[in-house]
Amino acid sequence: MQFLLTLRDWMRPMLALTRKELTQLWRDRVLLLFLVYAFTVDIYLAGSGVTLQVSHARTVISNADHGVAARELTGRLVEPTFRVDAQAHTQAQALAELDRGGAMLALDIPPRFSADLAAGRQTTIGLWADTSNSVQGFMAASYITRVVSRFGIETGLSQALGQGAGVAAGSLPTVDNRIRAWYNPNQDDAWFMSLSQLLNIITVFAILLPAAAAVREKERGTVEQLLVSPLSPVQILLPKVLAMGGAILLAILLSLGFVLWPIFDVPCRGSLGLFFGLSALYVFSTAGLGLFIATVARNQAQVGMLTILLLAPMLFLSGAWTPPEAMPPWLAHAMVISPLHHFMDIAFGVMLKGQTAAALLRPIATLSVIGCLLFGFGLYRFRRQFG
Amino acid sequence: MNLQRITAYAYKEWREIARDRLFFSLAFVVPPLLMLLFGVGLSLDVEHIPFVVIDQDHSQYSRDYAARYSSGPYFNLLGQLDHPDRLDTLMASGTVRAALIIPAGFGARLAAGKPTEVQTLIDGTFPSRALTTKGYLDAINAQANLDGLAKLLAQRSGLTEDAARQRLTPVKLAVRYRYNEAVLSLWSIVPKLLMVILMISPPFLTSIGVVREKESGAIFNLYASNLSRGEYLLGKLAPYVAISFLNAWVLWLMALWVFGVPFRGSLAFFALASGVYVLCTTGIGLLVSIATRSQVAAMIVTAIVTVVPAVLYSGVLIPVPSLGPTGQLIAHALPAMYYTEIAVGCFLKGSGMADLWPQLLVLAGYAAALFTAGFLLMSKRPKV
Repeated sequence: MQFLLTLRDWMRPMLALTRKELTQLWRDRVLLLFLVYAFTVDIYLAGSGVTLQVSHARTVISNADHGVAARELTGRLVEPTFRVDAQAHTQAQALAELDRGGAMLALDIPPRFSADLAAGRQTTIGLWADTSNSVQGFMAASYITRVVSRFGIETGLSQALGQGAGVAAGSLPTVDNRIRAWYNPNQDDAWFMSLSQLLNIITVFAILLPAAAAVREKERGTVEQLLVSPLSPVQILLPKVLAMGGAILLAILLSLGFVLWPIFDVPCRGSLGLFFGLSALYVFSTAGLGLFIATVARNQAQVGMLTILLLAPMLFLSGAWTPPEAMPPWLAHAMVISPLHHFMDIAFGVMLKGQTAAALLRPIATLSVIGCLLFGFGLYRFRRQFG
Repeated sequence: MNLQRITAYAYKEWREIARDRLFFSLAFVVPPLLMLLFGVGLSLDVEHIPFVVIDQDHSQYSRDYAARYSSGPYFNLLGQLDHPDRLDTLMASGTVRAALIIPAGFGARLAAGKPTEVQTLIDGTFPSRALTTKGYLDAINAQANLDGLAKLLAQRSGLTEDAARQRLTPVKLAVRYRYNEAVLSLWSIVPKLLMVILMISPPFLTSIGVVREKESGAIFNLYASNLSRGEYLLGKLAPYVAISFLNAWVLWLMALWVFGVPFRGSLAFFALASGVYVLCTTGIGLLVSIATRSQVAAMIVTAIVTVVPAVLYSGVLIPVPSLGPTGQLIAHALPAMYYTEIAVGCFLKGSGMADLWPQLLVLAGYAAALFTAGFLLMSKRPKV
């Protein structure tokens, strides 16, 4: 009983401070408007505007042959992977188009292509791929390679064995590799993009809001007022995290309810309660990072610069935009310290893979440890600065 | 416009920045540090994909076929599984990203000259990784089929296996990769990193500038002074532009010396374009600072309008033509895309003013528009 009373006395000023923070947030209309914008419109834009697959790769063909075989081959470059909307008369013209950035691929079919093919002579066609974007250029070129090699096999077989010699596709000992993508069978980019954008936005707010709320007091000098009040550092700092965390969780709900579910049909295969609980854990951990920044910085300009120093690598390298497999191993391992890295596993695990808390024990445990360490360190520094 | 007043104000702003030791050092430390991190880490070249084989056929055919996948650098064979039941947990935890299932009867069908199927399950959570994996799988399977068919043709027509293979590949494709001959991810990414970092750092530097004075009340000095709006904005912007321009040079040197990327274009043009681009990005920060009322709001708005679009809508990871209609609209509305074209053109394609003047023109227009918007939004007699 005595304990409960003490707890109540301990909680009461914190609740009052939390309310104060919320009122302050509520009155900053520009910020509030932007919070809503970021969690709805911005996520919608990312989900609807971005496709990672090679689509409509602009291809320019300079065809010096005009035979049937050449037409047959170029006819196989079809939408949605390729878009052949430019015909060049010479190879030089095609390359100029590539230089101009008007095309990503230039295919050059030599004169006598059809004749050589009919005579059974090997012939060479040229492909130039713009690889200033290496992945896309490489991928588009490999698509064409596949189209050409299939064309070659079919032509070669029908010539060598004659049309009637059992060339029909069903009677050759070939292996068909059926590839199935789990968790996102239609390879819907919107699922991935909208969800990862949501995680990015959460991160931005979860670091900046508490950090700024804490440093603001230092900058204005109101921290002196708080320090002479009968409040411990925990009671001063925790309300900021509670208020901002609550606002962020509400915004997540807004985002799921108005964008992710109705517009992009992102499934929630796991437990929604689990997702929210773990989002709260993530916001808390990341807020710890914000409080740490707040103890280092003296004014909000410093908060800004410190934030990008930590935020940009977190967003770029946690696996939202580049898979960990593509990073050098030491860096992939180093990203273990990024809370976002673990939250990505958690969020995608719960939403797309339908994982349970037991299956996600490792990322959850790591995230909790990181959160407690950051929070503890932030408190320690705050106490030392003002104790 | 009085030049003396502008320089006086710029000097005041400069001193304010330089005296904040931490802020001043961060202004120069952050861009190179991000360049190093992203240059090393931002890559999409997926290799060593963790992979398991579930061979239910146990024939020489199936063993040979499966071995094709693990022989290259693309897949990292973790082992054989007897049953697909454990696959669920392995895939969910990310221990395994791809699994090849060879059904019973695989070898028998091939030996009888009949077509057959195998199945590969891949982790589709990350679409670009799934796509690359798919590309590798298709290429390896195609090679296996070509080898099989060449053997068959050799038997039926009496050709040697090499001759048969030649008959099956009558069309040779000579692929040449342009601008980035070795298809080095680094070469393609580093010039774009200049764009990304100059899109992130300068707006953050600038975004606090005006709103800080609003919050602290120091802005009343301006209201009471004879400094005009234009002079104030120019003076405010000057030190941030100078710092960011200097950073652009540091990043350029890093691209050449640290990452070994060639620079083939005109340096004078690139310097000019970088100057105009930095004017645009600091301008974004300034505009945000004028439009917001609190420093928190300014920082958050800056983070969301710069950090994310710098990657998504600028052609770093996804080329602009592949974006959807809304994505393309945003890409065209931001300066990043134009500077990406300039940076890639100058570094890799050897272009200069002759090819890239339209992009430069757009950037210059953008800078002018930002400044005008800031000028109009700024008021020396605010309503509140």
